[in-house]
Amino acid sequence: MKRRVFMQGCAAFGASAVLLPRVSILEASEPKGETRVFMVKNSYNLKSENPKLVTKLWIPLPLQSEYQHISDIKFSSNASKAYITDKNSYQANTLYAQWDEGGDKVLELSFRVTTKERHTDFSKATASSTYPKAVARFLKPTAHIPTTGKVKELALKITQEAKIPLEKAKAIYGWVTENMHRDDAVIGCGVGDAGKAIEQNILGGKCTDISSVFVALLRSVGVPAREIFGIRLGSSKFSKACGSSDDAGFAKISGAQHCRAEFYIVGCGWIPCDPADVAKVILSEKMTLKDPLVQKVRDYFFGNWEMNWVGFNDGRDFVLSPTPTQKPLNMFGYPYAEVEDEVLDYYSPAGFSYAYTSQEKL
Amino acid sequence: MKKLIFLVLPLFLLAQEEIIIKIEGMHCPLCTTAVKKALKNVEGVEKVKALLETKSATIIAKEGVLDNDLFEAVKTTGYEGVILSRQHKKD
Repeated sequence: MKRRVFMQGCAAFGASAVLLPRVSILEASEPKGETRVFMVKNSYNLKSENPKLVTKLWIPLPLQSEYQHISDIKFSSNASKAYITDKNSYQANTLYAQWDEGGDKVLELSFRVTTKERHTDFSKATASSTYPKAVARFLKPTAHIPTTGKVKELALKITQEAKIPLEKAKAIYGWVTENMHRDDAVIGCGVGDAGKAIEQNILGGKCTDISSVFVALLRSVGVPAREIFGIRLGSSKFSKACGSSDDAGFAKISGAQHCRAEFYIVGCGWIPCDPADVAKVILSEKMTLKDPLVQKVRDYFFGNWEMNWVGFNDGRDFVLSPTPTQKPLNMFGYPYAEVEDEVLDYYSPAGFSYAYTSQEKL
Repeated sequence: MKKLIFLVLPLFLLAQEEIIIKIEGMHCPLCTTAVKKALKNVEGVEKVKALLETKSATIIAKEGVLDNDLFEAVKTTGYEGVILSRQHKKD
């Protein structure tokens, strides 16, 4: 077998190609205040029925922001080529690798994440609905986030008493957490088809399903909103349903992908939310909305994020770079791979295959 | 005459069709993999290419594959198929 050259890369290697959406990897500083630190490792060994065909892999990398600082990004692979890019319409950070020949297709990736819990000072909220251009794009519909028809009809009904954007957001969060439930039978994080969910009254789902309805309802009444796709890294102070690790802070996280949401209020900026984890706590802890823990979680996840999780991107229904055969991509919370025109099952870590781990520095 | 049949029959048996099916319900890249696998299982189907962008599958099959067999295969993935075109494949 012809052996390919094993290549390595790191943030410095990819820095010229990495123009991060919020703060550049090189410019970003560590979050101040109470922080948590995680070392994340990804291992890929791609499996396919046609291993001799050209194989392409796109891996979502974390975004850089004031609440999560990414450093020490390193990768090594026997790929024909591998590089970091954010050339897509959402500037989603991506590690791309391509194998042009048969043989093993392996890649190792690691990075360090320093996170800071997010809170919101609602006293700064204004009634303004004049949004910066970069924010206003999150009012627009996508294939899975429609903002007209029954979606708008429902949103108007939910928010009929609300006068300002924050009141609308509160009403929609209240409706989603009260009416939607987690359905563990759904594969992965769910498709997140808000139009279908509302039109067909499918109120059960997983995190992407629940967050997508939340986002679509908000956008349809003029409040910018978006999903943030990411992965849980460690233990939660609320419930194992929201994240867990062993006593030493180690966690196997191959199946820990989790979608959260944000909405924008002038004066506050992007406000963190997680309506899907309210539903997950209810199901996992066998509770109802009336239980004190659920009430606490429901209050907390309107304006706060526990940072035992890292966010990747806010892309929906977009095209990766380099352009895959299949497009657009519904969401980019999982690694995505193609063997010619065939898509590997990213919901199956063992079949794909990939393995993720996280070690918290305790 | 017998000689003619003997000569033409193998050509008929080898004849292929290109069938294009519209599958409007496909909404994510993994749908294309599911549709492709389902259609490949239909007897007579030799090659399938499914594309999300056009929400369609192009099938190369032996002459005579039934529309209904293709529709049933698509149905197993949770979607409905509609034949867009069906024509003899030219070599």
